[in-house]
Amino acid sequence: MTNRLKSIARIARKVGGIRKLILILLAAFLSVTLLLDILVVEKIFDPLVYLYTVLGTLVVLYGIYPLYTGRRLVSYYWERVRKNKLAVAGLAFILFLILLALIGPFFTADPTTVNFEEKNMPPLGFTIEESVYRPETQQIITKTITGTEKHPLGTDNKGRDLLAMIVSGARISLQVGLLATGIAVALGTLIGVTSAYLGGQIDNILMRFTDIMMTFPFFLLLVLIVFVFGPNLAFIVLVIGLTGWTGTARLVRSEALSLRTREFIMASKALGASDSRIILAHLIPNVISLIIVIATLSIPGVILAEAGLSFIGLGDPSVTSWGMVLRAGQQNLDTAWWVAVAPGIMLFLTVLAFNFMGDGLRDAFDPRSAV
Amino acid sequence: MEKVILRVRNLKTYFFTRRGTVKAVDGVDFDLLRSECLCLVGESGCGKTVTALSILGLIDTPPGRIVDGEVYHNDVNLLESSREQVRHIRGKEIAMVFQDAQSALNPIFTIGDQIAEQIKLHLGYNNRQARERVLSLLEEVGIPSPAEVTGYYPHQLSGGMKQRAIIAMSLSCDPQVLIADEPTTAVDVTIKAQILDVFQRLKETRQMSLLFITHELGVVSEIGDRMVVMYAGRLAETATVTELLNNPKHPYTVGLINCLPDMTQGKDRLESIPGTVPNLIDAPDGCLFHPRCDKALAICSQEGPPSVVVNGEHIVFCHLYSH
Repeated sequence: MTNRLKSIARIARKVGGIRKLILILLAAFLSVTLLLDILVVEKIFDPLVYLYTVLGTLVVLYGIYPLYTGRRLVSYYWERVRKNKLAVAGLAFILFLILLALIGPFFTADPTTVNFEEKNMPPLGFTIEESVYRPETQQIITKTITGTEKHPLGTDNKGRDLLAMIVSGARISLQVGLLATGIAVALGTLIGVTSAYLGGQIDNILMRFTDIMMTFPFFLLLVLIVFVFGPNLAFIVLVIGLTGWTGTARLVRSEALSLRTREFIMASKALGASDSRIILAHLIPNVISLIIVIATLSIPGVILAEAGLSFIGLGDPSVTSWGMVLRAGQQNLDTAWWVAVAPGIMLFLTVLAFNFMGDGLRDAFDPRSAV
Repeated sequence: MEKVILRVRNLKTYFFTRRGTVKAVDGVDFDLLRSECLCLVGESGCGKTVTALSILGLIDTPPGRIVDGEVYHNDVNLLESSREQVRHIRGKEIAMVFQDAQSALNPIFTIGDQIAEQIKLHLGYNNRQARERVLSLLEEVGIPSPAEVTGYYPHQLSGGMKQRAIIAMSLSCDPQVLIADEPTTAVDVTIKAQILDVFQRLKETRQMSLLFITHELGVVSEIGDRMVVMYAGRLAETATVTELLNNPKHPYTVGLINCLPDMTQGKDRLESIPGTVPNLIDAPDGCLFHPRCDKALAICSQEGPPSVVVNGEHIVFCHLYSH
């Protein structure tokens, strides 16, 4: 066993570190499955699985692992974040949301099961009166419906369980928010830092490209993609991610521009570090606090964008998202107000939580602010 | 084995700015011998640092460019080598210590991690080997309780400790040549003496060659074997340290030495060299020093100075001695 570990370590050193080895293996694995996916008609993986694997690995290698090795810095910043009550509340809500999305579906009903016997039921503790036309007696009678424990948040006009739909929506919103932001922030960071570090013509080309991307009507592109490829969640995530990196690139570039002239960059050059090493090992870790703040603050925008798409009917119809429930609910606001209110509150709280946490993190990372 | 380890010939580094060409280094020659300390001396802005950066190919292009010259290290011309080749020489064969220890360390990594990075990169050590090497390096540069210091971030160390950590980092791959760019300027006097001690010891124990850049003649007399005086990007005078300090020929060197406080004479005011270093964009004709020189001849404003051998290794670039 130790021998095997040693030989892995030896291979890792040859390619330049364990991280690189893992990335190479991952790239090899993904390209094989991707080839199979394209050549063999049968799909092996959903496109979302690819996104998850790539981003998950990147987050572990460049997020969790550095956090672990830098425990002391992390605990220092945590002390600063902790003093901001709103940020802690936001973090708590986000953790609750993640928990809800991860294990919620195992405890709730299927959000797509239709049951007209139990349609338009109010949430637990509410009672409504509904006028029902009975064809056999040709009478309109008034029926009292009380919320039950079976449907704690009530049901919609097709009898689908609202709690199940909210849980499913949490999962979709977090998926879209985290994946799209992950893509956007990774791209933006790489482009911004490279642009700042290499400078000159390359900087010029990259930044003009950013300008063009900024003027690009992203919503139009989304509509176009949905029209051509059909409304698939993976495509929506990709489009939001691939168009949303411009702001990050600009912010990261300006931060890296001032870092680039610091003497420790020159010092590591003088000690033989390569350009890619300086970018990956010295510049990016120094802008990581900025990146974390940008990412946290841009997640709500992405979640809202997806909700907006679903609301106007361009979302993926095979998944139940908050935007979709909102859309269904607003048509029956007079008879079943809770259907629209529940996802609305969830969206509101989620966006607020991410914003509070982002603000808290920004204050904690900013050495000038006395927390 | 050849005695010269670093041979710089006719080095010219110009900066092309919108307002004109700045000839920051204009035809500098010197040899660095094995296990000697060569001091590069001059005022601020006379091209000492640019010379050092040019040797390692660290001049930012644009605006700067090395327009001419040769830098031989073991018969390899660094200026004609590929970027990759030079990169492998940096740190491993020729290392550099920077002036400001505070900003030369990456603020977000511990001292141990930063030093280990070079060792793993150039020597291919694993974590455990690298850690042991870091400890012995820190010990060598005189850091007390090195095991504790490896876990510190730069801001937790004092200026002197940081400078030592930087020196340890530059020593990590046993370079033959160490370029030190004013390593004692940013630390206070007591620390300065300790840092000089470290360099002195390294020179003796490791048989290393030191290219020591400084503007302080006191430091030169402490550590230097030979010295090169630069003025406005050109050589003024070169000799052994004892020869030059006792028998300066160039009016600029004489001026520099006169600027030192002399405890035996008890003068009220320190002497200074009148004027400032000329603006190198429209540099004067002839000898660049003539506008400030009290012994200037008519020819000084027309022709560049010739090199005159005073005796043995003592060479001065001045019209005063050409006859």
